[in-house]
Amino acid sequence: MNAIEVEHLRKEFKVHISRSGLVGAFRDLWTRRYTLVRAVDDISFAVKQGEIVGYIGENGAGKSTTIKMLTGILTPTSGRIVVNGMNPHKEREKFVRTIGVVFGQRSQLWWDIAVQESFRLLKKVYRVSDEQYRRHMGEVIEMLEIGPLLDKPVRKLSLGQRMRCELAAALIHNPPLLFLDEPTIGLDVLVKLNIRQFLKQLNERYGTTILLTTHDMSDIEALCERVIMLDEGKIIYDGSLERLKERWGQGKRVAFTFAEAVTAAFLQQLTEGLGVAWKKGEQSNVWVAHVPPGGVPEVVSRVAARCALQDIRIHEVPTEEIVRNIYEEGAVRG
Amino acid sequence: MFYVSVFFQYMAQYMKTKLQYRADLFVEWLSDFMAQAVNLVFLLVVFGHTTLLHGWSRDEILFIYGFFLVPYAVFGAFFNLWDFNERYIVQGEMDRVLTRPLNSLFQIVLERMELESLLGAIPGLIVMAYAGARLSLTFHWYDAFIFLLFVIGGALIYAGIFISLATISFFADARTSIMPMMYNISSYGRYPIDIYHRVIRYILTWVLPFAFVGVYPASYFLHKQEWYGYAFLTPVVGLVFFAIAVMLWNAGVRRYRGTGS
Repeated sequence: MNAIEVEHLRKEFKVHISRSGLVGAFRDLWTRRYTLVRAVDDISFAVKQGEIVGYIGENGAGKSTTIKMLTGILTPTSGRIVVNGMNPHKEREKFVRTIGVVFGQRSQLWWDIAVQESFRLLKKVYRVSDEQYRRHMGEVIEMLEIGPLLDKPVRKLSLGQRMRCELAAALIHNPPLLFLDEPTIGLDVLVKLNIRQFLKQLNERYGTTILLTTHDMSDIEALCERVIMLDEGKIIYDGSLERLKERWGQGKRVAFTFAEAVTAAFLQQLTEGLGVAWKKGEQSNVWVAHVPPGGVPEVVSRVAARCALQDIRIHEVPTEEIVRNIYEEGAVRG
Repeated sequence: MFYVSVFFQYMAQYMKTKLQYRADLFVEWLSDFMAQAVNLVFLLVVFGHTTLLHGWSRDEILFIYGFFLVPYAVFGAFFNLWDFNERYIVQGEMDRVLTRPLNSLFQIVLERMELESLLGAIPGLIVMAYAGARLSLTFHWYDAFIFLLFVIGGALIYAGIFISLATISFFADARTSIMPMMYNISSYGRYPIDIYHRVIRYILTWVLPFAFVGVYPASYFLHKQEWYGYAFLTPVVGLVFFAIAVMLWNAGVRRYRGTGS
């Protein structure tokens, strides 16, 4: 069974365009002009139960709007959504009992009461029995290592501590589906690792389906087998992270530090026929060659034969860059 | 039933939070008490100069004022909606509210509860007792229940009007200054209605029925039989206005979910 099914989903917003200047402001009082903005434009996908899916895109690509529609906060302009076998914007109260939501920039917890008091209120709101709470939350609290934080008020927690408590709060009713909107924003590496590890455990132990948005590609690499990439409201890639890397990340980066100044034209001519793209590096006399698979030895030997070199570094194309490249070109090849 | 138990859990939590800050609580009580005492003295001084207003004696006017303070305190304790726009729409807390399995308005009432406002009812009761004693009013056993009914009716009228106003935030993005203005208008209901012009009287009865929070229900206890009809309309008007407000609210939430503004 699919946890999420989305077909031809669309969300349009009417945005008021204000005219410039004082006269414009007066005219706006009488007649308003609107443009229709398609935040989400005809997207379809399905998420199987137990999957961890990364939902990525630049700011304004429509990620949050999609999440808000999937969680029942917004109603779609058109299209069909089925989440946990229900229509999120009908029977809202029944539906939200089957999902957990964490907005990284917004708190679920009450600011000046102890964390466990917040949990108790949420336990009541979600109608979780004592027995169920003890069994399930005991594990969650242990996995997230938040036991010692429980009797502190939220306002005294650090961001990392708070975020872990937020996660626990979203899981009070042990939902089969978890939405995370930027869960690791602003966190340090250790907390990020802890959270990732926890999400993996959660997924393995309870089969929890997770859909997360993030700007941090290392989150995606650590967690998701599958990514859905969004640009201007449209899905531009949907598939495994591996395939994305193969298609886009093939080849290596070779950074040469030359002893003296060289020109792009010279380097281009030197590596003619090898399909190498040269880019100027950040330091002076550094040039980076984007080399297709298998071409590295040839490129290095040709360059080394003609130029005096100070240093050579070879590295893989990072996911961040793959994603950036995709956005720059606007579509996925093949 | 579920909603009642959630309500009590929130209330217990609220009290616990307040009790945690013992010093705060003490200072708060003290300042609340002082504020109310000043209010009381002010009232007595002001009304000390009025003897008769359109056939209403000083003590009757005082009694109405005292009565008004009670539903107003109830309203203040549970319907803190004056910063609804800021907190829930601009800061986006509404999204969180909508991801929880409880009625959205109910959640906001719970979150914004301010029980210490209920203390404001005490000076009201004192004023009523004082004026009532001077007027040597007599009460039946069932008057206590009628009093309760009228207080709830009055609080519902206030709630209805202010919820409806908060609903504007769902439709317009701009902040409005209607709320403070409405607080001003609401104070007209504390005075005998027949001192006003016909138009104002009509407005205070049927459009913004603040008269049902003060003068109409109070006149029942003052044995002013010509107003009994209005007095007993209090709970009805309260329910009607509250129902309208809830309908508007639901329409507002629908719209919010359509635009996400």
